[in-house]
Amino acid sequence: MQSVRKIWTKESCTGKNHEKNCVRDSCISNSCIRKTCVRNSWFRNATIGISFFFTFLLFLAVGTLLLVLKPSELLSALMSEEMLYSMELSVLTASLSTLTVMGCSIPTAYALSRFSFPGKSLVKTILGLPMAFPELVLGLALLLLFGQGFLGPFLETLGIKVPFSKLGIVVAQFFIAFPYAVRVIYSTFEDINPRYEQVSRSFGYGEFETFRNVTLPMARSGLFASAVITFARCIGAFGAVLILAGGSYMHTEVLPVTLYLNISYGNLEMAITSGVLLMLIAFLAILTFERFEGGSL
Amino acid sequence: MNFLEVNSLHLDVGGFELTGVNLEAEKGDYVALTGPSGSGKSLLLETVIGFYAPKKGSIFLEGRDITALPPDKRQISIVYQDHMLFPHMDVFENIAYALRKKLRDKKQIESEVRQIAGILGIDGLLHRKPTTLSGGEKQRAALARSLVVRPKLLLLDEPFSALDIRNREKMREALKKAIREYRTTVLHVTHDFDDIWSLANRVVIIRNGEVMQEGDPESVFRRPSPDFVADFLGTNVLKGKVRALEGKLTVLEIRGPGQNQIPNKIQKQNQNQNRDQKKNRDQSQSFEIYSADSAEPGEEVSISIRPEEIILARGAVESSARNTVKGIVTGISKKEHLVLVEMEIGNSAAGNSGQGNSESGISELKAVVTPTSCELLDLGIGKEIYAVFKAANARIIR
Repeated sequence: MQSVRKIWTKESCTGKNHEKNCVRDSCISNSCIRKTCVRNSWFRNATIGISFFFTFLLFLAVGTLLLVLKPSELLSALMSEEMLYSMELSVLTASLSTLTVMGCSIPTAYALSRFSFPGKSLVKTILGLPMAFPELVLGLALLLLFGQGFLGPFLETLGIKVPFSKLGIVVAQFFIAFPYAVRVIYSTFEDINPRYEQVSRSFGYGEFETFRNVTLPMARSGLFASAVITFARCIGAFGAVLILAGGSYMHTEVLPVTLYLNISYGNLEMAITSGVLLMLIAFLAILTFERFEGGSL
Repeated sequence: MNFLEVNSLHLDVGGFELTGVNLEAEKGDYVALTGPSGSGKSLLLETVIGFYAPKKGSIFLEGRDITALPPDKRQISIVYQDHMLFPHMDVFENIAYALRKKLRDKKQIESEVRQIAGILGIDGLLHRKPTTLSGGEKQRAALARSLVVRPKLLLLDEPFSALDIRNREKMREALKKAIREYRTTVLHVTHDFDDIWSLANRVVIIRNGEVMQEGDPESVFRRPSPDFVADFLGTNVLKGKVRALEGKLTVLEIRGPGQNQIPNKIQKQNQNQNRDQKKNRDQSQSFEIYSADSAEPGEEVSISIRPEEIILARGAVESSARNTVKGIVTGISKKEHLVLVEMEIGNSAAGNSGQGNSESGISELKAVVTPTSCELLDLGIGKEIYAVFKAANARIIR
């Protein structure tokens, strides 16, 4: 490197020549600082290397999943009775959960964003818990709550059975997705200047009318994005669903459960097919989310 | 009872507070609220409209106590600096939305919208979305939306501050016309003195959540009361003592630098400079200013002189103006389309630079002239200049 080091004038330190040759420690050209002068830093090389290596591994894993099956195998697995049942139940439960989650998280997020009330920080903390909470433990806690212990007997008198039922799937999915949805919607509401609502109030509209006429329409792209991500979380929920709903064949079998059951039987084709389906849903959800979160609808 | 009465309003909202604000307005008044940033002007507006509940105090509108009413029952409208047009509605819908709570008939709503749009000159924009409008157009639309409901009280929270000067002037004209038409009482928060001059018939100056002075713009500007107000309004304030009365005129002795801080400075100076300094001190005597306002001999007062009421001259001229003060130009800067000339006065050793600086207690005077006068007088920093002004324009403030 020493051999190319020479005195550079201001003029010679610009243009193509510059980027190739400049090794000056004190070069002030922007492109030089970014591209050339730090070329030989071991730290830069290490961070870039790590980022490439592991992204590549991830890509390889996803790619393998997509390529390992022949189209005919994929198609036959897709058309199997079990897979059709699982897909139908997944879409049904996830849709129902998404609706419930949205119905509950919109008011929750709005209250957290606009009002101050006693216990607000407690609510925020509890909602933050599941972020770091193992899904299996959440499933166990739900099983205890809706099982024989507390709410179970009460609900049973009303004819409602949550554990080991299809309803259990929805309940588990709800509690998995609810805190995330509140977060996304909360930040959507935070982005809307409350003065819009104040202006609407000043024209004689009440709080709810203002919410319906001004806040909701302004939040719609954020709400749509959060509904999509909620749906994806619900359809992919596994641990809590397995514990609360039981994951029994052709009864409470949703896509992740199909994957799990078939892997344990050694039935790779079915497992991989449900994996591909789940991945596609996640991929579409992320694409839509990126497109609409904070954007216009 | 007045049309609007705000009585000793107390409020504390995270860092901003109001401490006993009193405010009154007659029906049809145009009240300008001004004061330094963070003085609680916007907070006052948002309390009047009902977005904040005051800790203490009351608000009466048309004799009715509205302190505890929700904002949707007050019939007060607001226009913010950042317009707050609903982005999911076009301009027509924005304006019509304001009316829908009041009127049911579609045709009536449409004719009301068209009327206000005509007055404010936005009839061509009714089917545009707010994001496609320019700043001035957005503010016109926001103003139209607020006025169309014929509110009892219109609140303007720095509505023009994001616009350029030309647009501001156009907006003022449009606003004037609309206010005349809709006969609304207005509270207008502004930092722009042009707003106050051209629109308001009353001005209220607020600092730290407290009303410092109020009155018609003429008297507040000509005779700002506490020193803070005078300083905030950009007028010249000189402190002095009443020496004598001469007929109808009061003679004031304005303290020159010789009387106060120079001696301290001398101690810091080199010995061999001492003689110069002493000479300088002898020359920088206090000087006299004549005022047409009355005061008691011996009284300590301040006088205020508006920068635009000072005439600058190259030499001592004989004129009908009683006051001629010599000074040195210390700064020349552009102020919109005029030139602001800053000068040091009270130092008769003019030109003896190096000795006189503003720390030594020399008074400063600001004058506003046109760029042409600035050129004709060949003004430059360090040059000698005479400030001439009438006794009637040197107003005593206490």
